[in-house]
Amino acid sequence: MKRISKYSLYELAAPLLGFAASMVILLAIVVVVGENPGKAVTAIWKMTFSSPARAATLLSMSIPLFLAGLAVALAFRASIFNIGVEGQYFMGALTGAMAGIYLHLPAWLHIPVVVICAMAGGMLWALVPALLKVGRGIHEVITTIMFNSIALALVNWLVNGPLSGVEGASLEAQTKHIQPTAVFQKLNAGFRALGWDVPDFVYLDYSLIVAVVIGLVTWFVLFRLRAGFELRAVGTSTDVSLYAGIKVKQVQLGAFLASGAIAGLIGLQEVFAIRGFYTYEIASGLGLDGIAIALIGRNSPLGVVFSAFLFAFLKQAGYGLQIYTRVPNSVIYVITGVMILFIVVTNELIAKYIRALRKKEAV
Amino acid sequence: MDLNIVLDYLLKGLEISAPIGFAALGGVFSEKSGVTNIALEGIMIVTTFGIVWGSIMFGSIWLGLLFAVLLGVIVAAIHALVTVTYKVDQIISGTAINILALGLGRFLSQNVFGQETQTAMNPFAFPQIRGMNSFALALIPVAILSWFVLQKTVFGLRLRSVGENPESADTLGVNVTLMRYAGVIISGVMCGLAAGVLYPSRWVSGMTGGRGFIALAAMIFGRWSPIGAVLAAMLFGYADTARIMFESQIPIPSQFVQMFPYVLAVVVLAGFVGKARGPAAAGRPYVKGED
Repeated sequence: MKRISKYSLYELAAPLLGFAASMVILLAIVVVVGENPGKAVTAIWKMTFSSPARAATLLSMSIPLFLAGLAVALAFRASIFNIGVEGQYFMGALTGAMAGIYLHLPAWLHIPVVVICAMAGGMLWALVPALLKVGRGIHEVITTIMFNSIALALVNWLVNGPLSGVEGASLEAQTKHIQPTAVFQKLNAGFRALGWDVPDFVYLDYSLIVAVVIGLVTWFVLFRLRAGFELRAVGTSTDVSLYAGIKVKQVQLGAFLASGAIAGLIGLQEVFAIRGFYTYEIASGLGLDGIAIALIGRNSPLGVVFSAFLFAFLKQAGYGLQIYTRVPNSVIYVITGVMILFIVVTNELIAKYIRALRKKEAV
Repeated sequence: MDLNIVLDYLLKGLEISAPIGFAALGGVFSEKSGVTNIALEGIMIVTTFGIVWGSIMFGSIWLGLLFAVLLGVIVAAIHALVTVTYKVDQIISGTAINILALGLGRFLSQNVFGQETQTAMNPFAFPQIRGMNSFALALIPVAILSWFVLQKTVFGLRLRSVGENPESADTLGVNVTLMRYAGVIISGVMCGLAAGVLYPSRWVSGMTGGRGFIALAAMIFGRWSPIGAVLAAMLFGYADTARIMFESQIPIPSQFVQMFPYVLAVVVLAGFVGKARGPAAAGRPYVKGED
């Protein structure tokens, strides 16, 4: 164990270097576009930390990002590449919305029920790729990519057809409104009581509680329970795990389904707090973001907290640049892609360096 | 049935199938060499932008196509560099490139054309046949050529060998790195050709619309063979064309036609219609002297 901790500093180096490099590239792009870097930094500052409201917005934005990152990370830990988070998120959000629209329950019961239904929806959408993976050894990457596209078309059909609730006013296809008992209330007043001046237009709602609870539970299961130990063992080496008597397939199935369940929660904030109905137009690309967030957070729940916040920061920085400078918002995607490539390549180089160091020590 | 409608359907269907077919061929070359390429979508975002930009810059659709191919090669080479030289997970690299390309297309559009979501009109185009972009016809010779290269040449044999068993290939003196670079870079060329058919009149953000992923489905449904992949692409393309041309007469909701390729790919992968097996070493970086 000691040897691992000795090298853990090196492992932290990659994400930090990656972030630093991406910021340098961002500023370089700003200069190339012919914009003043000082102006760009001011623009980013204005949109991110210039006021308590801006900081609260970052926290609000990081809720779905955290859940997306956690879903990918948990599967990663068991050597499962869940590219299907996007589809599981759509299906989970829709299933949750159905429970919010068609069930009539008191609020104290309705809220937990919609959360559970959202998890079930996400989990069900992960079920077929998960079974194909453990049952027939079919690589999950391609099946989940296919399931994402199927989910997109299916949801499109459902909200335009059987579940459509358009009442003439809106152009986009959407469901009926969610029952008032299932609407996620804001916690802003609570934050204000604690001295953080969160204005009413920021969404810090029940989904924040859900994210915190899910994060803690995931951490506890991963690092304090036998199931989590087995999951991590499978992620380190399936061969060794098999040899140690761990039921690798069961563990991978469990991790895949749990990942899908967490993915099902990503849309809670948008559907239950912000919009109050489900639409085909809910934020897309969160599955892709989740992969990036998990990679940068090194697949640990705590790491994902930081990288989700980093992503919220990057997104807001992009809007800031868009509004106050001539640098378009899309530069953030370029930076994100570069950052991931930089981090994974640096990881490989560092791993190589550590192997060389160890060899030297062994001699 | 009216003969004109049949002819229109055949031509329109080829035009819609061709980008998927070219990209699927790219997927076949890359995967046959042992590198999974889920970045086809991202590469096509860049090449479709490239053909419009290049045509306007150089004043010719052919030079535009060449430029698109060049950009496709550059982006594919990044994937090769990261996965073959640095041995990073191929899916992670592909994901990163997809994210990067998403931003790059819009970023370039903003800086070159002053608009983030679309470029100016491209006044240059390939000749049309009854409204069909004639470049779509190139798919057929390119597919046959791909089959010939992969199955009948020494290069093809070597490329396939590093995707099946890089250790043995290496022992026999095949340069694994070089062959894998070749496979990935050819996929970049194919994505460039795909851009030649995919609306060269103007680049619009999001216009690739997941065709890179349908191409992966076509590659699988075609069982990693060039002819099979192109036939699969045509199956998907013609089904989609039927949806577009006869939507009002077809009782099935259009979304189910959209789902069709993906469902079929999963069914094939699941092994319900015969056995589907990709190249054995696809997805696995080759590290010399390990194991």
